[in-house]
Amino acid sequence: MLNKKLTRRNFMERSTAMAAAFAAGTGFSLGSAQAARDKELNILCWEGYNSAQVLDPFRQAHGATVKAESLTNDPTMINRLRAGETKVWDLINVNNPWARKVMLPEGLIKPIDRATFEPYFERMLPAFKWPYKWAMDESGNELIGMIQRFGPYSFVVNTDKVSRATAEDQGWNLWNDPANAGKYGILESDDWNVFDLCCIAGFDPFKVHTDDEVAKFTDAANRVFKGAKVVGDIATMNQALISGEIDFHLTGGTYSASPARADGNKNIRGITPKSGPMEGGKGGIAWIEVTSVVNNPELSPLATEFLQYVQDPKVSHTVAFAEGTFNPVTQMGDKACFDLFTAEELDAIQWDSLEEEMARSAEYDIVPDYDKLLDIMTSAKKAASAG
Amino acid sequence: MAGFRNALPLIIFLAIGFAAPLLAVIGYSFMPERSFGLLHPPTLENYAAIFNGNSYISFGWSLLLAVLTVAFLALICYPIAYGLARVFGPWAPVITLLFTIPLFVSENVRLYGWLLFFIKNGVLLGTLKSVFGLELESWLFTRPMILLGMVYVYVPFMLFPMTLGVSMVPNETREAALDLGATRWQVFREVELPLSMPGIVIGFLLTFVLAVGAIAEAKILGGQTVIPITHDIEIAFTYAQNWPLGAALAVLLMLVVGILVLFVLRRFDLDAVLGRR
Amino acid sequence: MSQRPAILVLKNLTKSFGKFNAVDGVDLDIADGEFFTIVGPSGSGKTTMIRMLAGMEPATSGDIILRGERINDVPANRRPTCMVFQSLALFPHRTVGENIEFPLKIRGVPPAARKEKALALLRQLRLPESYYGKSVLKCSGGERQRVALARALAFDPEILFFDEPLSAIDYKLRKTLEKELKDIHRETGKTFIYITHSLEEAMVMSDRIGVMRAGKLVQVGTPNEIYSAPRDKFVSEFMGDVNVIPVSLAGGKLISASFDRSFTPPGLPDGFASGHLVIRPEYMRFLDSPDDAENSLSGRLYNEYALGSRIQYQIRAGDHVFIVEKLRQQAPALDLDQSVLIGWDAKDSVLVRD
Repeated sequence: MLNKKLTRRNFMERSTAMAAAFAAGTGFSLGSAQAARDKELNILCWEGYNSAQVLDPFRQAHGATVKAESLTNDPTMINRLRAGETKVWDLINVNNPWARKVMLPEGLIKPIDRATFEPYFERMLPAFKWPYKWAMDESGNELIGMIQRFGPYSFVVNTDKVSRATAEDQGWNLWNDPANAGKYGILESDDWNVFDLCCIAGFDPFKVHTDDEVAKFTDAANRVFKGAKVVGDIATMNQALISGEIDFHLTGGTYSASPARADGNKNIRGITPKSGPMEGGKGGIAWIEVTSVVNNPELSPLATEFLQYVQDPKVSHTVAFAEGTFNPVTQMGDKACFDLFTAEELDAIQWDSLEEEMARSAEYDIVPDYDKLLDIMTSAKKAASAG
Repeated sequence: MAGFRNALPLIIFLAIGFAAPLLAVIGYSFMPERSFGLLHPPTLENYAAIFNGNSYISFGWSLLLAVLTVAFLALICYPIAYGLARVFGPWAPVITLLFTIPLFVSENVRLYGWLLFFIKNGVLLGTLKSVFGLELESWLFTRPMILLGMVYVYVPFMLFPMTLGVSMVPNETREAALDLGATRWQVFREVELPLSMPGIVIGFLLTFVLAVGAIAEAKILGGQTVIPITHDIEIAFTYAQNWPLGAALAVLLMLVVGILVLFVLRRFDLDAVLGRR
Repeated sequence: MSQRPAILVLKNLTKSFGKFNAVDGVDLDIADGEFFTIVGPSGSGKTTMIRMLAGMEPATSGDIILRGERINDVPANRRPTCMVFQSLALFPHRTVGENIEFPLKIRGVPPAARKEKALALLRQLRLPESYYGKSVLKCSGGERQRVALARALAFDPEILFFDEPLSAIDYKLRKTLEKELKDIHRETGKTFIYITHSLEEAMVMSDRIGVMRAGKLVQVGTPNEIYSAPRDKFVSEFMGDVNVIPVSLAGGKLISASFDRSFTPPGLPDGFASGHLVIRPEYMRFLDSPDDAENSLSGRLYNEYALGSRIQYQIRAGDHVFIVEKLRQQAPALDLDQSVLIGWDAKDSVLVRD
């Protein structure tokens, strides 16, 4: 009698989470029956860290049960902790601002030992040297997580249709040209789409917006979704780009384009606009993952072990090329790590332009009025399907 | 009492598996927006937000696509069901198997297969182009494509109840009607159709309820050019992190579907159809 | 009978399934208004035959001629005939009235006229008019029989076929319905062609009976002819419990090898060599002395059965079991295993060929 299987399945998953939330909220506890957790580790992460290539050597070395669940957006992961799952997870891997601005102040994560981890920063790429902002708390005293994968993330073009130079020069205005309607797709990555729509509308996403800006955002959202040929996941975007269904797509970069490039499609390229509305006239947006230790009352001792394990040059290379997507890692500043990358791999992650793209990109940040903008965008998506 | 005791495990199973999540969803639908507990004072703001917003577009698409899916399936499946029940003879099990096999492959995998088949320069258009020099517009990411995908995915759910319905018609009633002077069309209209109605109605309900909840076809083949209501719910639960809104949408969907199903069941009282009134 | 014109003529009618002939060269004339019954065991081809006549099964060869017109290729829905099925094949989703009106509705008769006709048929078949709106599924077995017959009569066919419609009905009701059917036959004056595996049923209703065996009509005649002069052992045994003694002709005498003696025959047909002597149980008598009948045998009472108004005795004589039936009032009181003398007169026996 219920609607249909997909939502139902979702409901079941969510209901489990709800039950957990409910249990936590009412102070319900399973008691002290839990055994000491020195042989188990639970990681909540973006895809990649949950791959067997990364986890299996660690499992064997420690004889441990390692469970990693991958999700594809930050707020969902953080809400899992808010809903009482700090008792479940040991490590959380999300994009840069959340640790410093949200999870630490809310007590969802806790700092890690500076003495142990500071030396690792010495071997990272120059842009990430100690004290790196997003790995530190607001006071700059505490180390709150380790960094590894990063990348510019603005949009992707098929350079056979739109040259890299044109794309970088036109930037976000590609979506303001009515002639482009029907030629592009939109990656289903709604938080990033909110940022990008702000850029298209001509203002910085990472601030509180005026009513005038909200109106412009609404207009841009309606227009951009109306003109989209397809909205979908990364695989769909890459298929559509390669096959010629679309010429370029909103939200994307090394993270999304690298699988297509690694597959030999060198005409698929992440683009960082030369200029844009962000602070300092920066044209693109970049992300840096921060992996933090969850404020778990029964934290597994393996949590910090794992953080150190992934700093190893070889493991770093594995993380960079874990199944799914391929990304640069900060550990490439270490020659021992960098040398593990083949020319093909460097080309897949657009190493040739990585430094300049990162320099032109503002760092992912929290949008104060995200909820409002997201609702407007969701509404625009539905409205686009009406006509 | 013994009956109750024996039924208790099942009742508990249903309570945990079905009633509890359902109650949780209903409970959440009355919580303040973007909250994550069930202990806030109840509010109707989620329902107000839905009625003030444009989710009606998504409801509309889901219902329209479901109705069209059911209509097309009815036209496609009845002749096949008739064939399976009456004409194909020893080939019927083979054909039934052919219709069953795709069910063993995940729906998403099949839909991605279709995507690769229909995509520009893909199996279909690429072949047409290289072999016949025909360059056609891609059909992918269009609304008819969504409908095609849904019709394809739900064929077995209409076909099998329908086949059962058609095979429930006693052959002698057909012969009797013919013998009493009815033409083939009159036999169909007066005897076969009404007597196979239970299977047809069950097929209609099953495919309608499944199709209203369809999401993958619009996402994969439609490229999200249509946002069905289940997708709207999914957005609320994921990116928007607005569980109460998602829950309220889900409750409304259940209500709409439930009312429609009850309405149909009243109109097509199965007992009456079977003559057990 | 013979002065009435034939309504249906079958000429060498054959139906083959592969090499097997389910109906094998049947020739038959059925008179207008006749109640004709085809009797045969299951598998004798009688159902295939009636389905060919009704147009539900194409004939392999031969002719079906209705009032002088060959109708082999006329489909069932264009033949002026109608069948009452073994399952009755009522429309379960329709009321009694709708079932009866079905052929009228098909013909486009206006609703008021349809209803009038349906109510008249309900009366004729002794069903209350209130049944008009009742679901057929709520009717009893006997009521359904009447509805099925009413529906067929509403079609107003020239010939009505019946495919064992009473076979699933209990004995007492069956007896009632048999008589009712015969009454309806008389009232309507239509030609009825009925098939059954029960000769008893056929006897009650029919003007003539055709006995069918392995796709062929082995004997056609009035109930009396069939009863008193069965053409062969099959026909005679098909008529229920009979006493059969294998015999052969030797030196002008009818000899039974198993009893090692001769019997007095009812008259020897020309060229008779061997066959069976058939004596119906009610023609058997208990004798005080062997001289009381033309033929006699001594035996022992094995068992006796009360059959309502009659008592049936099972007598063992030699390797044979004989059946003797007496009306209850005339039945002697016998002890089990008592020695008895049984006999019959030659005129009460029938000599049939193999």
